[in-house]
Amino acid sequence: MTSTDIFGAAELLKKEGPDLLRAFIRSHRGAAYADLRFEARFSRSSSATDGEPRAAQAGESAGFGVSVRVNAPGGASGAGQTGVELGRLALRPARLLGAIRAGLAEAYQRARLGAREKAALIRALNGRARSLAMAAPPPRAALRDEAAAVFQRDPRTLESGELERLCREASARVAGLGSEIVFNAVAALSELRQELFISSEGALISQGFAFSQGDCYVVAQSAGGHQEIYDTIGQQRGLECLAEGWRDELMPNPDLLTFAIELGREARELAAAPALKPPADEVTVVTDTHFNALVSHEIIGHPSEADRALKMEAAYAGRSWFLRSLNDNEVGRQVGSPLLSACSDPGLDGYGHYRYDHEGTRARRVMHVENGVFRGFLNSRETAAVLGAEPNGSARASEVFYVPLIRMSNTFLLPGQSDPRQIVAEVEHGYYVCGGAVPSIAESRENFRISARRVYEIDHGRIGRLYRAGSVIADSKEFFMQVDAVGDDLRLIAIPNCGKGQPMQVKRMSNGGPTLRSRARLGGG
Amino acid sequence: MRPAAELKNFVRAARALLARERGLAEFEVYCASAEHRVARLAYTSDIPCRGVEELKSHAADGFTLRIVMCRDASEVGTATEAGDLSLEALRAALERARSAALVDPDFPGLPETPRRFAHNPAGAVAGGLMRAGDDALVEAAWRIVGGALDAFSPPPAMRERPPGLVLGGDVSIMRDRMALASSNFDDLRVEGGAHFTCMVTALIESVGAKGTASGLGATLSGMRVAAARAGRGAVTRALALGGGERPPTGVYRVVFGPQPVAELLNYMVVPSLSTSAFHAASTAYHGRFGAQVMDQRLNLWDDPRAARGAIRRRLTCEGLPARRTMLIRNGRLAGLLSNFYDGHRLAADEHRAEKLGPHCADPVDFAPNSGYRLGESAVRRFDAHPGSAATNIVMRARGGKSERELIRAVGEGIYVGRVWYTYPINGQRAGDFTCTVSGDSYLIRNGVLAAPLAPNALRINANLEQVFAHPIGVGNRAAPALVWGAPEAYYVTALAAGQIPFAAIEASQSAME
Repeated sequence: MTSTDIFGAAELLKKEGPDLLRAFIRSHRGAAYADLRFEARFSRSSSATDGEPRAAQAGESAGFGVSVRVNAPGGASGAGQTGVELGRLALRPARLLGAIRAGLAEAYQRARLGAREKAALIRALNGRARSLAMAAPPPRAALRDEAAAVFQRDPRTLESGELERLCREASARVAGLGSEIVFNAVAALSELRQELFISSEGALISQGFAFSQGDCYVVAQSAGGHQEIYDTIGQQRGLECLAEGWRDELMPNPDLLTFAIELGREARELAAAPALKPPADEVTVVTDTHFNALVSHEIIGHPSEADRALKMEAAYAGRSWFLRSLNDNEVGRQVGSPLLSACSDPGLDGYGHYRYDHEGTRARRVMHVENGVFRGFLNSRETAAVLGAEPNGSARASEVFYVPLIRMSNTFLLPGQSDPRQIVAEVEHGYYVCGGAVPSIAESRENFRISARRVYEIDHGRIGRLYRAGSVIADSKEFFMQVDAVGDDLRLIAIPNCGKGQPMQVKRMSNGGPTLRSRARLGGG
Repeated sequence: MRPAAELKNFVRAARALLARERGLAEFEVYCASAEHRVARLAYTSDIPCRGVEELKSHAADGFTLRIVMCRDASEVGTATEAGDLSLEALRAALERARSAALVDPDFPGLPETPRRFAHNPAGAVAGGLMRAGDDALVEAAWRIVGGALDAFSPPPAMRERPPGLVLGGDVSIMRDRMALASSNFDDLRVEGGAHFTCMVTALIESVGAKGTASGLGATLSGMRVAAARAGRGAVTRALALGGGERPPTGVYRVVFGPQPVAELLNYMVVPSLSTSAFHAASTAYHGRFGAQVMDQRLNLWDDPRAARGAIRRRLTCEGLPARRTMLIRNGRLAGLLSNFYDGHRLAADEHRAEKLGPHCADPVDFAPNSGYRLGESAVRRFDAHPGSAATNIVMRARGGKSERELIRAVGEGIYVGRVWYTYPINGQRAGDFTCTVSGDSYLIRNGVLAAPLAPNALRINANLEQVFAHPIGVGNRAAPALVWGAPEAYYVTALAAGQIPFAAIEASQSAME
């Protein structure tokens, strides 16, 4: 048995899975729909702090998630899900198929229990809960497709010490930058995933993904202050993108060593810089591509998720400033300057790339904002039905054993026509805000405070003094409406850790944008 | 979930196999089986909905093997395996651990004391929650929805338009078991535990109101009681908060209720109170161990054995006794959450004098009371690395006052009942935080709660010192509070503070209108 065998389990399920689901639907009264998601994974990771190796691991895993929907007598419907991590037990066909059958039976029972309780409540409320009659998404034609992972260097065949050496060297070089560096951590991983989606509607979709990611965290201090910064590079590629860097117009990254050293230098410089003492009033701000990745993520991407907009996340990550109600919302209305456009495009070669979502829907580009007008939401099959839209393939889980949620893919502000140098040069007095750090967002994302890594004063069109601990504070619509220049310098960055849901699902994606100019208040430290 | 006996048998057999292996100075097999079941609430009066989302679960079990090589006491290898608790899987993991072994000069060896531990073989919790079926969870979730709809009778002014009632949240049961065998222990360390959480948010969008309710505990009966109360409670609170005011930007005197205090502790204070944070020089209390960091009336501790705590543990995931850790005593920084590795690393850190500061006695012993290996659902996870985590965080004060007295002491200001998205905006060490006031809040005038505060009308931009250093007063009753995504439960008092800066959020931006 070799370490690559775990991917063979997916081949077994391609043969056995469709029949298994058909048999399940036939043999369970009221079962209207079932799907099975399976994932096999090989992962290699390492970390170092202060120039010393701390951890290294390589391993395989496998798991599955099944979802079942039932129509119960009396018209109430119910849904249930079960997710299980099996590991190498997935290599044993009888064990794997037995676990899936048991999972389906459990999910079915949960769906029936839910439908029973719902029916009882509807009866008890005597017509006072009409909204509980949510229709199931319409059935659709069966899709069959395969997509392979893209990589030059297979994570499974890397030399075991290579990641460890990369991390250790990078961490040691950062530590060696000077006594101002008081702590640093560098981590790297290279991973291969094979996903399978099979539904009782006849879908059979197999997708492969390669992820390689490097993270760096640095704490620096000087006599005058201190600075903590972190950043991530990542691609849906093999280790080549960390070992040699990745040259790409949209989402380039340096090699891990260069990336870590640059971050270390920035931390040193910032620790010696004064904290921003913000002006009392609104000022002109020019925000760079890295900072705007956070803006696109928090202020456009999240509120464009239909589950938030439809209040399904109200208790956790909040609602959306794009939709107050089905009859009163921003669709077709101006939410920003005519210079501003934004979209999600899973077809692009970013960290959030995929071809099909976890409901088996073909993914497509979704325009959120077009010339300042809000156009539409990321959706799932269910929320698309509520909104009267076509499913656009945005329901994805972070792990196979969790239920899919509506997630961003490669979500970004579109580029404009302006030269970013000219955008700065036109500012009489203002601030150049660079690098996203920490976002804090109001409940419907209608207001934000996002801190930057670096803030420079702009004086007569020239970039001047550097400050640390600066942040941009604004009401979202006002900030977007005041955008008066959009650069032609679109860049995406890898976002490794977007959290959503209960239990929390931490998802990888890309966000980005070009240089923007607007007006906002600044926060300091 | 796998029975405790199966986990125990596996680690016993693993220990016997590993003891015969050549070249191993030390070894440890940590095996865990865990499950998180969730029933999510999703009711909207004016948008088609399910009421309760699909009941879902995530089950994971497996083991982590750690080995230390004879040739170098700092050479440690780690491998994990999901699902397969067999000796064949252990042999494969051993091969991977040998191949992944690296020399970590700060590795202190595996935990080694005490060699024998008098534990409760049944685990910290032996109640019905460990055995509760799906029916209990589904019933609880629908009871919340039913209770909320029963309590929701729109006032006349609301009847002319859609009410915009939104009910969200969840009821969750988390349960786990672990078994650990180590070359450094004579016995096997086995434990199981279970707890529930219940979070409910009720919004009435037509009047811009938000009320919440929560419950947490370690018993099935407690979950039923929480479910019976939560839906009704959240809606009742929301109904009382309609038509809230939007105060202007300014500096206000404030009473923070238990939830905001829990949120500030979770995002700002607790992450600063670990040996790893001090080692990384990324704590808000850098150089202040032993110093006065809060008002002298305040005490803060973590207690995994708290009789009424939701998260009861007698063993850490390193197989060591889970003990109470005093973090803040009379306002002084007295202790840190620690696991075995991080405690040793800080104690051996050549810069510890600067990192801990002049008030710290040297040498200082950071007991590994808090070494847990947790997953996203705050249950023990088979493949997680030991970190430092809290269980039941308790904040109490000497000379505490009732909330009514705190409100009276504030006189003119704001009662903040719930905050949202609290983050250390300039990094953990700076202590600066920002968040928005999202519900359950009031304006205080003439020493009483005078009018509801509109949700999402204010953003707080402040520093920890402004809240905890010189409070106007501290509450006398520790109430349970939950923070979304947090691995620990909070039992905290309200706290009144002066001089808290707020920035107004433009009304036209709010989705609540």
